[in-house]
Amino acid sequence: MAFSSALVLTDLNDYISPSQACIKPVEVQKKENEEQTSIKVNEAGNYYEVSVDGTEEKLESASISLNDCLACSGCITSAESVLITMQSQEELYKILKTNAEAQAAGRTDDIITIVISMSPQTRASLAAKYDISPMQAHAKLTHFFKHHLGAHHFFDTSFSRDFSLVESAREFVERYRTYMQKGGEQIEAARLEQEEKEQAEENTNGKTRQRRRRARPGDGDANGTASLEEMPMLASACPGWICYAEKTHGFILPHISAAKSPQQIMGSIVKDFYAKQLGLRPNQIYHISVMPCYDKKLEASRPDFFDEEFQTRDVDCVLTTIEVDKMFSEQNVDFKTLPEAPLDELFNKIGKSSSFQNPTLYGSSGSPSGGYLEYILATAARELFGVQDVSNNLYVQTVKNADFTEYTLKSSEGKPLLRFASAYGFRNIQNVVRKVKNNKCAYHFVEVMACPGGCINGGGQIPVPAEETNLTAKDWISHVDNIYRSVEGVRPEENEAVKALYSEWIGQETSDNAKRLLRTQYHAVTQNLTNPLATVW
Amino acid sequence: MAKLELVAQLKGHNDRVWQVSWSPTGNMLATCSGDKTVRIWANTSHSNTSQWECIHVLEGAHKRTIRSVAWAPSGRELATASFDSTTGVWEYDERDKEWECVATLEGHENETKSVAWSSNGSLLATCSRDKSVWIWEVESDNDFECLSVLQEHSQDVKMVAWHPHEEMLASASYDDTIKIWREDDDDWFCVDTLKGHTSTIWAIDFDKTGDHIVSASDDTTLRFWKQYKPNNQEGIATPGNQPKWMNVCTISGQHERCIYSVSWSKVNGKVASASGDNHIKVFAEEPTTQTDDAPIWNMSACSSDAHGVSDINSVSWFPTEKHADWLASGGDDGNVNIWRYVEDGV
Repeated sequence: MAFSSALVLTDLNDYISPSQACIKPVEVQKKENEEQTSIKVNEAGNYYEVSVDGTEEKLESASISLNDCLACSGCITSAESVLITMQSQEELYKILKTNAEAQAAGRTDDIITIVISMSPQTRASLAAKYDISPMQAHAKLTHFFKHHLGAHHFFDTSFSRDFSLVESAREFVERYRTYMQKGGEQIEAARLEQEEKEQAEENTNGKTRQRRRRARPGDGDANGTASLEEMPMLASACPGWICYAEKTHGFILPHISAAKSPQQIMGSIVKDFYAKQLGLRPNQIYHISVMPCYDKKLEASRPDFFDEEFQTRDVDCVLTTIEVDKMFSEQNVDFKTLPEAPLDELFNKIGKSSSFQNPTLYGSSGSPSGGYLEYILATAARELFGVQDVSNNLYVQTVKNADFTEYTLKSSEGKPLLRFASAYGFRNIQNVVRKVKNNKCAYHFVEVMACPGGCINGGGQIPVPAEETNLTAKDWISHVDNIYRSVEGVRPEENEAVKALYSEWIGQETSDNAKRLLRTQYHAVTQNLTNPLATVW
Repeated sequence: MAKLELVAQLKGHNDRVWQVSWSPTGNMLATCSGDKTVRIWANTSHSNTSQWECIHVLEGAHKRTIRSVAWAPSGRELATASFDSTTGVWEYDERDKEWECVATLEGHENETKSVAWSSNGSLLATCSRDKSVWIWEVESDNDFECLSVLQEHSQDVKMVAWHPHEEMLASASYDDTIKIWREDDDDWFCVDTLKGHTSTIWAIDFDKTGDHIVSASDDTTLRFWKQYKPNNQEGIATPGNQPKWMNVCTISGQHERCIYSVSWSKVNGKVASASGDNHIKVFAEEPTTQTDDAPIWNMSACSSDAHGVSDINSVSWFPTEKHADWLASGGDDGNVNIWRYVEDGV
């Protein structure tokens, strides 16, 4: 399956085998006239279509791009793996080399400003492997990229994530209000009634794996209400989930939050705001992000994140944690003993605590997949119901399996106000999608992530090191998770740097700027397999 | 030599018959076909076992070939796996005396090849050309919930079969292996991978006890596998404290072509196989007082050209004592044959 939650380059042991042909359809323009044409090949090996009257038209060669492969499942994953290497550390080395040459030749205008943004999950993974604290990892990475390699800046996507959280929460509140206006009250009341009925039945009959007879039409089905696009809202930061939804469940796209992911918001910050600050054009900056998974490479190359005017991407290249770790050995660097460099002042989520002059790292509280659920819940509770502290009336329950958890905020009388859930992993995504399709999803927001365990267990994260013979994969993930959570969470509204940048760069929350810079769109992929002959049974 | 006598030939499907499945509770046979329908046949006369009628036609739920049909243990539900990538669940309505499609399970990316109900009817397994095996649980209100998506096969998965008593699943694939799956506290995982066949495995079946599996392959052999539990007396290693399956017997040279289907009778213990060489063969285990670590299987009956010149896609033994000698088969000729296994001198 193309759902690449655990795509690892090292598992490659075969290439595109001849028996499984690529099924990417080649779009052929339908010609008006039906006359005979012939194909000619000239000396250079180019193909021309020759029509009856002798005019020749050069034929385009069929091409497959990285995007086509990653979004398709027609042939073996090796093809995708081969193409994913197009976004690799080799690209970074190339730019560094050109920079070095330009520097030596005195062509300072040709030097590309290299910016690296790292995700906190990557930092936690490296900190776990090398047995150092997140701050030490961050400082050593700053040294590695800026002083050892020659990049110019090192940022933390925890910073841009705050913008994503704020925008997501704002969107949720908007959606909820619209939902209520469109008759949400009745739907909620019906759901509550259904729940109480089911609970009563469970109390009398007990919970078994028994089947209940199907309700016959006319038996009073409370869920026969129209479906609304506003609810539930589904998280949008996971590109694995987005690609899957676009490819197979186009109907669910209106439910997905329009907020950009932290990676892409950092892309906008770097190429829009920071470029202007530095007096550079966006294509004079090369932006690399370091992420816990390979699907982020696909996200970076989405056409929506390509600047047509300057012909540059918001994020030029994505490296995974594993690839960065490999760079250390390629560069003969002992990461653990690297000196620690001072952090960039800009676009890092740091603060100076009152007692020490050394900065402290900050993050977001909540799940290691960005803390969307927690932040949106807290914001919605405050703005919609006036609840300042959710912890008193929050009911958390693991449903079905460890990757599916329900969070219900109840009023002081015990009435459910907000129903949120986190659903990680393919099987849970299946269940969420199916429920939404059948209009049986009772949640208002679901934090959907493709990888079981969330981003901390992304496909590009460092697996259990071989030396740790006592630890299982589960133990290791738990360990990395703890390291991630050791970085204290600070709300966006409590972060002065975030607030300052927001007002300077975006302006008003509801402005056009906010829409343009902080939101994105999704596009359903229509499957048109025009060549069934290419499929081999 | 025993023989297979043709009891009845059921005609009605307009395309090849892909699978035949006996009802666990009644004298009914469900068959599915390339004509996108399922037909339910019943023996309509107590005295005449050759009199069969098609009593129901289940249609309209699938857009492409129905590749597999399976009865739930209750006998009142059916599941159909189709090339249109969906799996249909049908219920028999007592009031209307009609079969109705009550649920459609979506999720597979392409053609589903097989569907099977667990022994207690609470779980459903499906597999597909997309290399995955999905396990579903029945929820209330005819909603099915996806419990797990297992993606460890490296090729098309051809068939899934449940253990006769436990919640253990076996899957057979184009990648030449059989995988055994069980549940731990959070998810399903592959307990063992059975290697030995040198080509696609088309069909598998458990024996009555669930300790043995027989597999049919494109490599023209039938292989028998035995389960060795942890701390077994034979001293077979059981890594991870999980049962280990070993290939204890291989039948080769009996079929000239790909063996498409195999059925292990839960009543008389015989194994029937159907092949692209147009023959149906029945094998019996040599009775032996020793342990069954090296059983010997001999061919005891053969029906040549059982469906004329057409491939035979499916064979299935009758599930209960009532007609323990009945064997149903379905072929590319669109016919369903019901055979009776007759011992020597009877």
